[in-house]
Amino acid sequence: MCGIAGIMYKTPGGGDTGKDLIDMLDGCQHRGPDSTGFALYGAGHDGELLLRFMIVTDDGGTASIDAIRKILGDYNCEILDEETEGGNYRVRVRFTGDLQKFAYALEHGATVISIGSSLEIIKDIGGAHDVDDVYHVARHTGTHGLGHVRLATESDVKPEAAHPFWATGFSDVAIVHNGQITNYWKMRRRLERKGFEFRTDNDSELIAVYLAEKMSHGVALKDALRDSIDDLDGTFSFLVSTKDEIGYAKDRLAVKPMVLYETDDMIAVASEEVSLNRLFPGKALNTMEPAPGTYNTWSRSTYPNNQ
Amino acid sequence: MVTIDLSKQSITEANELIRQCGERGEDVEVLNPDARHHIGVGLTQGIKVRVRGSAGYFCAGLTDGPHFEIDSNVGWGLADNMYQGSVVVGGNAGAIAGVAIRGAEVVVKGNVGSRAGQVMKAGTLCCAGNANFMAGYMMYGGRIIILGNSGEKVGEDMAAGEIFVGGDVQSLGSDASQVAPTAEDLKGIKEFLDKYGLKFNGTFKKIVNAGTKLRYKNPEPPRRNIPFFTFSGTTDYWNEKVQEDIYVKSQMGRYRIRGYGAARPLPHLTDIAFKRDLSQAGRDPDLLKRIKMRTTLGDKHGAKPLDLSMPVMIAPMSFGALSRSAKLALAIASRMSGIAENTGEGGMMDQQRAEADQLIFQCLAGRLGWNVHDMQRANGLEIYISQGAKPGLGGQLMAKKVTKELAAIRGIPEGIDLRSPSRHPDVLGADDLVIKVEEFREATGHRIPVSIKLGAGRVRDDIKIALKDTFDYVELDGLQGSTGAAGAEVLEHVGIPTLAAIQEALDALDEIGAAGQLPIVLMGGIKDGVDAAKALALGASAVAVGTSAIIAGGCIACMQCHIGNCVVGIATQDPEHEKRYNTPIEAVHIHHFLEAMRWQLAAITDGLGYSDVKQLSRDDLVATTPEAAKITGLPYAPEYRDPNLQLKAS
Ligand SMILES: Cc1cc2nc3c(=O)[nH]c(=O)nc-3n(C[C@H](O)[C@H](O)[C@H](O)COP(=O)(O)O)c2cc1C
Repeated sequence: MCGIAGIMYKTPGGGDTGKDLIDMLDGCQHRGPDSTGFALYGAGHDGELLLRFMIVTDDGGTASIDAIRKILGDYNCEILDEETEGGNYRVRVRFTGDLQKFAYALEHGATVISIGSSLEIIKDIGGAHDVDDVYHVARHTGTHGLGHVRLATESDVKPEAAHPFWATGFSDVAIVHNGQITNYWKMRRRLERKGFEFRTDNDSELIAVYLAEKMSHGVALKDALRDSIDDLDGTFSFLVSTKDEIGYAKDRLAVKPMVLYETDDMIAVASEEVSLNRLFPGKALNTMEPAPGTYNTWSRSTYPNNQ
Repeated sequence: MVTIDLSKQSITEANELIRQCGERGEDVEVLNPDARHHIGVGLTQGIKVRVRGSAGYFCAGLTDGPHFEIDSNVGWGLADNMYQGSVVVGGNAGAIAGVAIRGAEVVVKGNVGSRAGQVMKAGTLCCAGNANFMAGYMMYGGRIIILGNSGEKVGEDMAAGEIFVGGDVQSLGSDASQVAPTAEDLKGIKEFLDKYGLKFNGTFKKIVNAGTKLRYKNPEPPRRNIPFFTFSGTTDYWNEKVQEDIYVKSQMGRYRIRGYGAARPLPHLTDIAFKRDLSQAGRDPDLLKRIKMRTTLGDKHGAKPLDLSMPVMIAPMSFGALSRSAKLALAIASRMSGIAENTGEGGMMDQQRAEADQLIFQCLAGRLGWNVHDMQRANGLEIYISQGAKPGLGGQLMAKKVTKELAAIRGIPEGIDLRSPSRHPDVLGADDLVIKVEEFREATGHRIPVSIKLGAGRVRDDIKIALKDTFDYVELDGLQGSTGAAGAEVLEHVGIPTLAAIQEALDALDEIGAAGQLPIVLMGGIKDGVDAAKALALGASAVAVGTSAIIAGGCIACMQCHIGNCVVGIATQDPEHEKRYNTPIEAVHIHHFLEAMRWQLAAITDGLGYSDVKQLSRDDLVATTPEAAKITGLPYAPEYRDPNLQLKAS
């Protein structure tokens, strides 16, 4: 019950990730009018983490931010810069240590949106332009990114339930997903027994953690995606991103659409061609629809002149 | 030639212009299509439309006559339901290209996605490249030509028609078989390919229906069934109904199919009561003049609403399950009482259109009888997702009812046990449902309401989706709702009761702060004006009646509906049986019944001290059983229980 989009630039400096994703999502907003979100990858710095939280803004955010700062202190983080934007608190820290432990501690004491050295997730209720108005998404440039529009059926549409999801406990992994995983609880129990925690009951978070867990054992993203088609039941069409890769997987029934377009400079993927065409108005695109039951990845590092 | 630039004009404006060009006989060129959806939808003249670029979903959908050329790619649902005319696509097509076509010639020069030609009835779908899985899924007729390879399960559950594949066939679908093409087949294909300038030098494999699933193996045993009212009245373990059930199964070795609804005790509107003593209500002879009952439905998104003289409608019932004569009686009665009639599945008849002042046209997954002309002359459109008797499942129409005339309207082979599909080819989630709704609006210039029929299952989610997918109102049908034919176990056990359904629907809207924003028409066991008044007080905007209208029109519940042997000529297609039905007289009977409902509604409204049915509210109600109290949240007040009922129970 949603629309997804993804983009990766092959060019050295990257591109207008924010602007391009806003256009693509605005093009398929009919698929999900309730909330919109972005996973944006910029240049990261070793040893630094970018954290984004949702805060309670009634008191100007003081209580929420104090709670977060305390955990950051507990884990010996040095705060490099910080700001609040809309209902978000964004902070850049220097951190070394066990990231999963740190992430779970943050999850228990705050509402984490994303953790990564180069990943930032921005999501809220409303359309692509509404979210941009509050968070200035269009200002973000970078190497690659994902986007999502959502139709919600839960009681009240909360920003936490918006996509993208980050893989709770793993840095720089994000996912956008269209469909429904029907063996959700079976898969979740399996991962919980291995000690992983889940922040929501959303099946997209499950896919993210499932893939991140595999990658943490050194499995390549592409192989993890191949396994996901066998392991996950249901209908799905999802995009996943890491620090320098984007990948997709599509279930065998191909119930959820996905269209792909590649040029010398970029790769763009979306639920509908109309989103891709937003990037190239007036041009008929030579698009391709991934076959049912297939997966693939693209990596920034394979483009020779991007350094 | 008129040029339309989609970077400057909205698709709605563009489609209006294209239709005007159609009327003037002028050809159209569409610039900057940029893969936008619904290009050319609703066009019914033989003009040429050239799309300079890629088109999105439902390009050339719901059309009859035009010739489309699309330079590049198209999205899902190319030429949806197209009657006459042609479409040529220069690039690739997404899923369900040529879905439900009924005569059109559709050519895709590149590849086609999955389920090409799903539920198509006539015409030719030709793909010069490769086709993905399940080409010809549930097709009822026509021809598919694939010059390249075909994916898995070609011809899955096809009922008729022919599929020719020039390349490899990955696998055959269930009930499909491969045969040798005849010289005539090949001649026909060559003519088609020549006409569209396509070259092919290979050989063709031909795939047709294997004939193993078109009929149930064991027919229902001839037996005088127990009337519905006899067996549904008791709760004993071993009653007549159970006995008959076992007997029938022992003869057939399969599940039973029957008509009517659930025949077991369920919490219902009977278990709620009005707080006031209404025994003196309705004494005023001028009652009907004083009490306001007029109800409009469907103007939420700017359409011309249905205008009902009271908040009651006729439930959608198919021409197929019911005879032509019975459908006409309902249409006439609806006009006499100033309410709306609904086609149900299986198309619209001219006479029915003429007799009913307000007629809703229903679209089901098989697209049986669905077409743009009847859409454009309807007063409302309705997407059927499911019904209370069998939520989530497709319909059954047994062979005896699939007569020549009926098969022609529906576009299917005569004399099959029709099991219509449970899923719409193009509605696989809320995200594509909204694109479908928009297609209907584009085909009718946004002039008439679009509603959704839901069988009560996952009501809480479904209602929210209905609201967000911009439906004008919902027809909500509980477990008690009747049918012309369904599996007996499903009838009895699948779904949730009408009372629970309306409550869940209202709660769902409340939860998202949308109380009162989506009118709900409740049905499933509404048997009189008292039930109707209770439903309205609970929060429904109107009710619909199926069974009670049919009984008023002469049904004796002989339980032969599914076999088509209805003794009074209602649920049959047998001319000998139908002869027994006196349409004008039965129309008046149905009208009388509806007027009795009107009077009851007015009397209750008056008795409660109101002047308008809209004033009825939950505050007027109590629950007389713990179950009903729990379901509705109304105060539990056993002292209001009907003393006669209490006597029966003890
Ligand atoms: C003979 C018959 C045919 C029906 N055909 C349809 C149909 O084509 N489409 C539909 O939405 N519901 C159909 N229904 C269900 C009715 O619309 C309605 O949901 C049901 O009859 C309401 O319950 P009631 O009979 O207790 O009033 C049919 C019901 C009957 C009895």
